[in-house]
Amino acid sequence: MITIQSALTGLLLGGLYALMAAGVSVTWGVLRIINLAHFGMILISAYLTFQLASDWGLDPILTLAVTVPAMFVAGGALQWAYDRLGISELNSLLASFGLLIVIVQLVSNVWSADFQRMSAAVNPYATASVGIGRLVFPVTTLLAFLVAVAFIAAAELVLRRTFAGRALRAFAEDRTIASAFGIDHRRLGIVLGGLSGATAAVAGMLFALANALTPATAFEWFGIVFAVVILGGIGHLTGTLAAGLLVGALSGVVSVLLSPAAAPFVLFTAIVLALLLRPRGLFVRAAQ
Amino acid sequence: MMARGLVGIGLAVAALSTLSLYRETLGFPIAYLALLTTALFWVTQATSWNILSGYSGYFSFGQAAYVGVGAYTTAVLFGRHEWNFYLTVLIAAGLCAVLALGMGLLAFRLRSLRGEIFALLTLAVPFILAALARINGSIDGGQGIIVAIPDFPAALGRFQDFLYLITLLVAGIAVAVAFVMAHSRSGWALASIRDAEDVAEALGVATFRHKLWALVASAVIGGVGGSVFALQIGFVTVDSVFSLTVPLFVIVMSVLGGRTHWFGPVLGAVLVVLLQDRLSAMALLGWQPVILGAVLIVMILVAPEGLYVRVRNLWPRSRGSKTPPADLSEVDEQLSVVDDSVLVECRDLSKHFGGVRAVEGLSLQIRAGELVGLVGPNGSGKTTLVNLLAGSLRPTRGSIHIAGRDTTGLPPHRIAHVGVARTYQIPRPFASMTVRDNVAMAVLFGREPRRLAHARRLAAGHLAMVGLDHLGDAYPSALNLHQRQLLEMARALATSPKLLLLDEALAGLNPAEIDNAVEVVRRIHASGVCVVIVEHLLRVVRALATRVVVLDRGSCLADGDPETVLSDPAVVRAYLGKRAHA
Amino acid sequence: MLEIGELSAWYGDARALWDVTLEVGAGEAVCLIGPNGAGKSTLVASVAGLHASVRGSVVIDGVDVVGLPAHRIGGQGVAIVPEGRRVFPHMSVHDNLCLGAYRRTARARHRQTMAEVFELFPRLSARSAQLAGSLSGGEQQMLAIGRALMALPRLLLLDEPSLGLAPVVVDEVYEALGEINGRGVSVLLVEQDVDRALELSARGYVLAEGRMVASGPAERLRASDEVRRGVLG
Repeated sequence: MITIQSALTGLLLGGLYALMAAGVSVTWGVLRIINLAHFGMILISAYLTFQLASDWGLDPILTLAVTVPAMFVAGGALQWAYDRLGISELNSLLASFGLLIVIVQLVSNVWSADFQRMSAAVNPYATASVGIGRLVFPVTTLLAFLVAVAFIAAAELVLRRTFAGRALRAFAEDRTIASAFGIDHRRLGIVLGGLSGATAAVAGMLFALANALTPATAFEWFGIVFAVVILGGIGHLTGTLAAGLLVGALSGVVSVLLSPAAAPFVLFTAIVLALLLRPRGLFVRAAQ
Repeated sequence: MMARGLVGIGLAVAALSTLSLYRETLGFPIAYLALLTTALFWVTQATSWNILSGYSGYFSFGQAAYVGVGAYTTAVLFGRHEWNFYLTVLIAAGLCAVLALGMGLLAFRLRSLRGEIFALLTLAVPFILAALARINGSIDGGQGIIVAIPDFPAALGRFQDFLYLITLLVAGIAVAVAFVMAHSRSGWALASIRDAEDVAEALGVATFRHKLWALVASAVIGGVGGSVFALQIGFVTVDSVFSLTVPLFVIVMSVLGGRTHWFGPVLGAVLVVLLQDRLSAMALLGWQPVILGAVLIVMILVAPEGLYVRVRNLWPRSRGSKTPPADLSEVDEQLSVVDDSVLVECRDLSKHFGGVRAVEGLSLQIRAGELVGLVGPNGSGKTTLVNLLAGSLRPTRGSIHIAGRDTTGLPPHRIAHVGVARTYQIPRPFASMTVRDNVAMAVLFGREPRRLAHARRLAAGHLAMVGLDHLGDAYPSALNLHQRQLLEMARALATSPKLLLLDEALAGLNPAEIDNAVEVVRRIHASGVCVVIVEHLLRVVRALATRVVVLDRGSCLADGDPETVLSDPAVVRAYLGKRAHA
Repeated sequence: MLEIGELSAWYGDARALWDVTLEVGAGEAVCLIGPNGAGKSTLVASVAGLHASVRGSVVIDGVDVVGLPAHRIGGQGVAIVPEGRRVFPHMSVHDNLCLGAYRRTARARHRQTMAEVFELFPRLSARSAQLAGSLSGGEQQMLAIGRALMALPRLLLLDEPSLGLAPVVVDEVYEALGEINGRGVSVLLVEQDVDRALELSARGYVLAEGRMVASGPAERLRASDEVRRGVLG
């Protein structure tokens, strides 16, 4: 029973990983930019949520009204800069690694390196939970899961059914030909960067709801989220969701059966194996 | 060159050691000794990173794995179980070597491995090891381990002196290893991998083996450095050795200093540690990662080649500028009589890409003395056939024998050693090497490898053969297309091939250049090399070939002497359209 | 419709075209023939804005498009069927076609245009939900043409539509091209298959080693030795 409970809790938590991974995956797959600064944007959003809720007494979820537009602009500007500088895939990895370090340190200078958590007074969600039969789930986890699923389903729908979505997929496959049919790569990059920034804002808020914050968390996401991106297949949203849930459930089970500290060990071993056996992702059909 | 450099490094180590040995005489403050120790630790780590990532271009985020394994080996065995300290250093080196072999055997075997995936793979390794150390009580168990001070000769002075000297020794060895590697075959191989890996493989470089050894060397140095680092910090915790600041620091240092050169990381490490020291002196420690991160970003954008290379390029090059006399003796003696033996034998060769049959059931014999023109419409499988012969592609079905050996499925560098060389449609020189060294590179790793000095002389001969001898000291970026294509030919010749595959080696040239290239190909053939040339310009094929093979949709449409084949109605039809014979 | 004047193009420092001049009238079908490597594909890519290093003029309906980014040139009523088809392999046939109608003007009518494309190529209609990468070579070529038609072009650029296809399939493709031209779409056809090309077009140009070496009405070119020499070298 405990195993099932923790597998399911892990699974739900996996939704948050998937949401964090979605932005990285899509900018990597479509724009060929490996943007590690994405984790910095999630971190800043989490702290902004914490700050706005604690200082102004805003409902934490309503802080999105501030963080989403802010991160949209930041993400769009960042992609615009990458595009203008004509940065290559590998160099984007290095430059954004530098940027991430800068952001983490700035956050730690502003908010200190200590753990901080929204007080129960401003964050009623942290303590609430929902019982289903004999299983109990924290509201925050459930919320993260639902948002992630809803977001990825919506994004997938946009990708499949709208002209903009098709343009994105076409651009990822053959940018030269896509441009011949009227797709403007710079605009696409800015919009996509902005949207991925917006998901970072949502992910940051969801993280802040359930957890105490410390700047170094960004580095902890780093490993897991990349695992999800690669397992899900770079640029594949549904795969990312599936990989997120799988990774979440796996670490939930390992935490119970072995120990919480063993979770990363099992997880990363699984990732290395997966990378070696299915370098294109677990859920991606072989090309052609 | 090599000996002089090593003596120089030895002298530098000796000079630095006096700072400790005669510390009191010199009045050198012990606090500075501590700072130097830190700098030397980072020199070791940055050099270790650079041996793989700088030389070969495979970026690693996994430096913390070596530091961690090294530090924990010493912490557990020496700190907790009181084994001999020096023994634990050796064990750390061994463990890191095993770790690197495991990583390399897994990662470098992947055909689809790309640089970005390798980088992320190496990112995962320290996480795994950190988790392992944290949960395993016999390693750490989350408590951290105190490392005592080992016994050391009293003559060395205080513990700080001992630590400084041993760190200096390790750093000296690390830099010496990096220096030797840079100036040996291995350095050439890694540089060629960085510039154009599959070209290097096709020229005869055993890329897998060279990458693997670089990874192992890097890991051993990193591990030994980590082992000594355990003494320096005195208390080893997971966070202090497996942290992400380790890869950040080494990457910033190497990128800052210059990652293609052995000295770059040394310079970078010293600069960064000094900067760090100044920042903490100004009570700005909280800004240090901000500044390092910013330095990384700016360097990647502005000067990805690094400060050392930047500064060195400001001076006109003096090194290697004297042109070695061309050695034509060996080139000439190859002039052989027309050879009638079968050199290449393809049987029922097929290559399918998904549903596309690029080559289908092709059987073909080529004799040693021939100059074969391989023609056919676009998409008829000419380039695929070249790739199959050179081993860049494996056939779906069928077999290839070259010079009596079954080469089907051999890796390209082995096929190169059998005697096959090729050029590429779009020339792909090694950008970081001079024209002469591009060619010397091929001699170094070719069928009859030579020492560097000899290889450079031979290279001059090969350059003379294609008429590029006056450009030996130039870099490929200064060459025009025609010259780059000639360089491709000279480089291919330098492997002393029996069979030379020229894949559209004349594309994009103007008529005068084409005439010159035709002359060069003729000269190469006359020197006794069997040539297969893929070419669209039929007048070139007519002028050159002793035999023409026409491919159409992956199969042989016609085969014979040029005049007969090129007036064959079926061939004219394939080229001009279905009713052209009318 | 299209006037190319003194066009030169480079790959790095390698020159691919030398002052090439060419014209396509409204509703006309014109072919450009010549051996491989003559610069035909470069010329088409230059018109479509897919080749950056270009000097000279490319005037489409009175607008000089040299220097415009590729995504703006399509707005002038040009669509390209690139060499080697280059359909989007992981997208369905339907989505490939929709992408062709990405531009606002074409988007509004895309259902109607798609019906017309399916009428022209019934084989595509049956495979509408299939991934483009799983189609045969001939079907991919039809898809590439259909995708270009979705953009409602007034000028269609075709780069070697017969490449690597079996003769029966080439017949089918050319029949469709004739029909498209019959509806008033101008065609600039790059082709190695000289007879096919001259059959479809009223006029032709011969390009060799980056220079225009002959031009004229199709019948004259068909009889001419120059063409034969130009192509066979």
